Amino acid sequence: MEEFLHAIDTLTIHFTLAAVLLPLLAFVINFSLPGRLHKLAGWVSTIAIIISCIISASVFSKVWNGHMVHQQMYWFTIGDTKIYAGILLNNLSVLMLLLVNLIALPVHIYSTAYMKDDEGYRRYFAYLSFFCFSMLVLVVADNLVLFYIFWELVGFSSYLLIGFWFTRDKAILANKKAFIMNRIGDTGLLTAIIILFSQFHTFDILQLFADKGLISQSVIQGGTWIAPLGHLPAAWQYIAFSGIFLAVAAKSAQFPLHTWLPDAMEGPTSISALIHAATMVAAGVFLLGRVYQLFNDVELTILAIIGCFTAFMAATIALTQNDLKRILAYSTISQLGFMIMAMGIGAYASSLFHLATHAFFKCLLFLVAGIVIHQMAHIKKDNGLDIDPQNILNMGGLRKKMPLTFIAALIGGLALIGLPLTSGYLSKDGILIQAFEWAEGRSGLYKIIPILALLTTWLTAFYVARLIAKVFFGELKVLNDHPGIQIHIGDGGWRYKLPLMLLALCCLFPLFSANPLLYEHAWLFNGFTPASSHEHANIYHTLVPIGVNILSVLVICGTYAMYVKRKGNIFPQSGFLYRLSAGEWYFDRIYNIVIIKPILFLSSAVFWIDRTIIDGFINALADIGVKIAKLCAWVDHHVIDGFLNLLVAIVEAIGNFARRFQGGKVQYYLFSMLVVILLLFILKTVF
Amino acid sequence: MISMNDFLIVSAVLFCIGLYMIVSKRNAIQILIGIELMLNAAILNLVAFGKYDRFFNGGQMFALFAIVLAAATTAVALAIILNVYRQYKTIDPGRIDNLGDE
Repeated sequence: MEEFLHAIDTLTIHFTLAAVLLPLLAFVINFSLPGRLHKLAGWVSTIAIIISCIISASVFSKVWNGHMVHQQMYWFTIGDTKIYAGILLNNLSVLMLLLVNLIALPVHIYSTAYMKDDEGYRRYFAYLSFFCFSMLVLVVADNLVLFYIFWELVGFSSYLLIGFWFTRDKAILANKKAFIMNRIGDTGLLTAIIILFSQFHTFDILQLFADKGLISQSVIQGGTWIAPLGHLPAAWQYIAFSGIFLAVAAKSAQFPLHTWLPDAMEGPTSISALIHAATMVAAGVFLLGRVYQLFNDVELTILAIIGCFTAFMAATIALTQNDLKRILAYSTISQLGFMIMAMGIGAYASSLFHLATHAFFKCLLFLVAGIVIHQMAHIKKDNGLDIDPQNILNMGGLRKKMPLTFIAALIGGLALIGLPLTSGYLSKDGILIQAFEWAEGRSGLYKIIPILALLTTWLTAFYVARLIAKVFFGELKVLNDHPGIQIHIGDGGWRYKLPLMLLALCCLFPLFSANPLLYEHAWLFNGFTPASSHEHANIYHTLVPIGVNILSVLVICGTYAMYVKRKGNIFPQSGFLYRLSAGEWYFDRIYNIVIIKPILFLSSAVFWIDRTIIDGFINALADIGVKIAKLCAWVDHHVIDGFLNLLVAIVEAIGNFARRFQGGKVQYYLFSMLVVILLLFILKTVF
Repeated sequence: MISMNDFLIVSAVLFCIGLYMIVSKRNAIQILIGIELMLNAAILNLVAFGKYDRFFNGGQMFALFAIVLAAATTAVALAIILNVYRQYKTIDPGRIDNLGDE
């Protein structure tokens, strides 16, 4: 029986491997496709993701709420510690596995139409498949090192795709910004991993973070962090937390590292939908889910505060933006803030639930935005206008031109606001209710968090209503400004419509819960919580949803009246708050002054030092070297060569002297002989 | 009475004159004359010392041979000088310093 189970597990692992490696295969194929076949690239990637999606669904059905599957193999050794790498499938990873595939599938189909006229079609799909591969491995990795590698790779593929149109300066700036901000987070994650390794001597996620794992056996006592295998000063635990927080903040665009995400919208819209709304940015929340055991109360509270602040801040910024994608980007930041806050207040299940629902409706909204922008760009191109196709002030009245897109946007928008019958309602209300429960037992200051979260919900209602009103209701503003232009726009072909319909269906409640009003009945929520713990216990469970939704509906009606019926704008278009929001809280400007300018100054100072002092020193050394060499040359020339020349001269002189005796004149020889003989005789006589 | 020393002195003077001629003259024939003088100095010595060999007159005999040989060598030498002159258009031994074929 055991063997049989084991065989089934192995099969599941193989399935997972197949699901993960198919996008990689598509990536390789796309890169090696000959140029004339480049139109196939889209279908290669799409087919890979379809198969991967089916396989993931079967893996999901096997593992969800069943027993955990974990297999690993020997990877390498550090010192005496053997490191294993493998695949860990539990509720969290199979959910993410399926979710990533489910989001990626419509995005792939959509992209085959959306990018069809682009020169970089093949490159686009290669990158897209590469991203899917990285993301899928990231969610199933059982080892922090493996996790880190793919954490980097999703960041890298995001970098490639933000800068996909690399001839645009803004895209290049945006992808550099995203990359650098993500590096900060990566550094944090690496630090945390190293600290965990030195404390627990393992990278294995299961050993570390399981219910009875090493983390839960470790305690902080009297300034020391005691683990089964060693102890460190307690500060290291906080440093590890800070590292993980930085990683989460960078990847999930939380304050203070959120500013890259709005700029990342320079990439193709389908990329924004997949990477910068639904999957990659959720990796931060996923990481929190993986390492949840690590955090103590203080750290969770910090998470809650940061998440809540980010949610509120991003929502206020989204109020006044006019760029369609920027609004959605800030909305993404805001919703991610909700998830982080939910993690912080202990609403682990709600956070992941919101992650899943948010992925669907935000992806849907981005795809809608893509279609709208595409059509606006068509208008611009056909009539040679000088307008920004992303500016919502140019749009309006599009609901008659593209009814299906409008309906999809409406469903996505309602889910984002969190009105009943949508998935967003289930997950968001869960978070709000638990936020109130959490604040119940705490002092007054903590009560700001649920209130801010509540406020954010209404702000969300406002900006979503404003967005939809400006884009889909009223008159087409471009037509007012430029009368007589040609307009041929519509929903587009089935490759646009099908993904919208799929995602719109996933934004409604039946996918998640049979009961449209109670989040506790959602299967996804229950997959992450022990069955008994959530009773319909207190008044918040009734009061919060009713209050939130009534006010939301009022806000929507007000917005509709304001923007569509032209009852006059009750908000001042100037003043400090408006400028704060339109200026995106001046984060970019502050970072520019506080960080970038000093760093640039420091760099130029260092450059100056390098040029003048270090190079000067080297040059001085070089000069000295040259001088010594010249001296040596002189000595060589005059002393050593001179000595040799002297020898030569002596030899020459001797030779010349001796040569004179060999003149070929017989009488000289005879004379010499005579002299020598006479000398001999004289010598003999004298001595 | 002419003593032995007188012969030897005359012979030495002759020899030195011959030697001097050989070393200093620029004419091959004069050098040849010098050689003859030296030979004759030697022959004079032979004759002078032959006075002590009264039984066999070895010195006298040897002098006769030497004179004949000197005449023969002189003839050969003159022939050589004649040939040298034909070759080099000179008989100054200081200028004949090349034995090669040019």
